[in-house]
Amino acid sequence: MAIISRDKIVEGLVNILGKDNVITDEKVLKESSIDRYRKYEQVMEVYTQPIPAAVVYVHSTEEVSEVLKFANDNQINVVPRTGHSAIEGGLETALEDSIVIDGSTMNKVLKVDKYNMQVTCQCGVPLQSLDDMLREQGYTTGHSPQSKPLAQMGGLVATRSIGQFSTLYGGIEDMIIGLEAVFPNGKICRIKNVPRRAAGPDIRHIICGNEGALCFITEVTVKMFKYMPENNRLIGYKLDDMKLGFDCLREVMVAGYKPSIARLYDAADAGMHFSSWLEDGKCVLIWMAEGPAGITEATEKGIKELMSAHPELEPVDPKILENWFAGLNWGPEQIAQEAEEIKATKNIGITTEVSGSWDCIYEIYKTACDRILEEVPDMTLMGGHSSHSYMTGTNMYFVYYYNVVDCPPEEEINKYHDRINQIICEQVIKYGGSIVHHHGLGKARAKYVHEEYGSSFYMLDTLKKAFDPNGIMNMGTLIPLRK
Amino acid sequence: MLLEDNWVPDENLQIDVKYIKNMWNCFDESALEMMLKLSDLSEGFNVLYNLEALTIGNSKCDAYLRTLYALGYKKAVRVEYDDDLRFKPEMVAGTVAGYVNKKQNIDIVVMGRQTSDGNNEKTPLILAEYLGWPCITQVMKVEPVDENCLKIINETDEGVLTQIVKTPCIISVGNVSESYLRVPTLKDRMKLGKQPIELYTPEELYENPENIIERVELCNIEKVDNSRSGIIIEGNTPKEKAYKLYNEYLKERLEKL
Ligand SMILES: Cc1cc2nc3c(=O)[nH]c(=O)nc-3n(C[C@H](O)[C@H](O)[C@H](O)COP(=O)(O)OP(=O)(O)OC[C@H]3O[C@@H](n4cnc5c(N)ncnc54)[C@H](O)[C@@H]3O)c2cc1C
Repeated sequence: MAIISRDKIVEGLVNILGKDNVITDEKVLKESSIDRYRKYEQVMEVYTQPIPAAVVYVHSTEEVSEVLKFANDNQINVVPRTGHSAIEGGLETALEDSIVIDGSTMNKVLKVDKYNMQVTCQCGVPLQSLDDMLREQGYTTGHSPQSKPLAQMGGLVATRSIGQFSTLYGGIEDMIIGLEAVFPNGKICRIKNVPRRAAGPDIRHIICGNEGALCFITEVTVKMFKYMPENNRLIGYKLDDMKLGFDCLREVMVAGYKPSIARLYDAADAGMHFSSWLEDGKCVLIWMAEGPAGITEATEKGIKELMSAHPELEPVDPKILENWFAGLNWGPEQIAQEAEEIKATKNIGITTEVSGSWDCIYEIYKTACDRILEEVPDMTLMGGHSSHSYMTGTNMYFVYYYNVVDCPPEEEINKYHDRINQIICEQVIKYGGSIVHHHGLGKARAKYVHEEYGSSFYMLDTLKKAFDPNGIMNMGTLIPLRK
Repeated sequence: MLLEDNWVPDENLQIDVKYIKNMWNCFDESALEMMLKLSDLSEGFNVLYNLEALTIGNSKCDAYLRTLYALGYKKAVRVEYDDDLRFKPEMVAGTVAGYVNKKQNIDIVVMGRQTSDGNNEKTPLILAEYLGWPCITQVMKVEPVDENCLKIINETDEGVLTQIVKTPCIISVGNVSESYLRVPTLKDRMKLGKQPIELYTPEELYENPENIIERVELCNIEKVDNSRSGIIIEGNTPKEKAYKLYNEYLKERLEKL
């Protein structure tokens, strides 16, 4: 890899950014070598990945460009970062002497354009503060991942993230108008803000979802929507089985309704969320209608009508759901408490999100759960929910907990986490779904990229080779490192 | 968490908590884990601890008792009670005392120091009175010694105290940092979690109901204002703010340390 020494790397970076923006503190470097994919190692403070040479803070697109050029010239691996909430190894510094480029210091909202309903911000703008600011003025981004208190605009675009109201607003790919990004040779590219165009392929999607493996995103323009929470209507049901639940989700989507929330919890997952009122063994189905009053009223009525054809469904008081929903997001306090609990109990919870068409999603869910329970030791919970539905199918968000037994922290990933991931990916591939619905391939699932892409891997591979010929952008992400 | 807006007492002065996730009371959780740790340590000491768990409440508690079975508790007992227990430490202690006396073979009772809704902080002490046993409060840790003694570490006003205590005794568990109850595997839930829960009514356990005198009557409840005053430090840059914070508020205090 790098053709200059660690010291020279740091020296070069200091020359570009100044001493204050180049961090070489041992603890910071160690913490910057991983993300929540290695949550157990993180909590136990055992670091198995190469420790980066420096974490640098950038303040402008030009600085990003200079740092990338420097890295490209010297073949130094670079890991772009903003909110540090990644969960699939996207932030792991897989090669020796990497540079972590942290864009959280590029945190200005550049323009709120209420006439054209779009907002432009730098990559380090935290989504929570952006959306809070917009909501105060009667608008919203419509983007609400559970990590809203943690994630920032650059990372959200880089991972093709999705929020809890996606069934109405779409994923981030449906929200992006224009972008600015810097490629490894230092080239700055801006894609202008227009409502639509047919001038060749939609090149925004080379940037969106690149996970830091092609370019560094510096600026993002996304849509704004009117925020009308007073019209929200929540609808909930209890039910006995997931098959019926998936059918209900499908019926509503296929009928053409656009609720903002469409969620189905299996009994194990529901038990964790709704223990105060839900009987053991019950699944939960939740909808929310959002938008102008006329639409939400009609959506609520339509969904209820469709659901009334299923006498097995038992309605749930919407007030319960409203309150539950208000507490769903995760901020730094939850992360800190989780770490304490894991340390004390050696019990850890992980998630894996996949998608599938209506005709296979139940099989994916059922067979993956069954296999994991059969094949993986020390499981304490296995379940999940569907939280993003489409006309053509839905996602499955597997949630699983296990006790780490007789296993040093550095072995945990092999003994449990990867084993479970593997079973899920195998079942998804077998039934023809996608192994990644919204967290990104990262490094955790890069090894399945060939199965995931099939013959279209050629296109991804060509993009990587064309934009990053020296192989300096977040190596090991999207495409696995050659061992 | 209960949202502030939802903290509304009904005509019976009850707060509706169906919006919030059920969880262990933190002191009870510490107590339950403390017992499991004690049991883990027992091998080296030639003592056998037989763990039993007792709760007073309605059938919603059963899921929790089944978890304890799955974790290795030998017996789970529930005293059926569906009424308001928040301010009735005498009734709770009387019921537990009745159970202890009935069984005859119990020599350590471990309990959380207080509930999060009643906050009476009295039950272990009243129980001690009923049973005539010593009660150690604010316990942080317990270790085996032999058949008849325990090593108990607890917090006192003067500091942390370690003592060897003869059983029978009551242990009231206080603030134990980072004490979470372990999680049973699904296999253990299947294997052990289905054992029957022993059920009683309070009447079956009270020995002398006339002795249990409730000393308080619930007249009203009000929210305690926990808000603290604060100052927002003004400044143009984070550096300037940090400088002010340090110089004007922290420096003097830190120097005194
Ligand atoms: C508790 C929790 C809940 C979550 N819930 C959701 C959810 O509901 N929906 C969802 O989609 N995700 C969710 N995530 C995953 C994560 O929050 C998202 O992937 C998010 O988009 C990451 O944003 P970030 O700013 O934290 O990026 P980071 O963690 O900093 O980086 C994520 C990835 O993007 C790359 N990257 C970051 N910034 C840039 C940039 N400027 N240019 C190029 N590449 C960049 C990194 O190299 C890395 O590969 C959750 C995570 C947690 C911890």
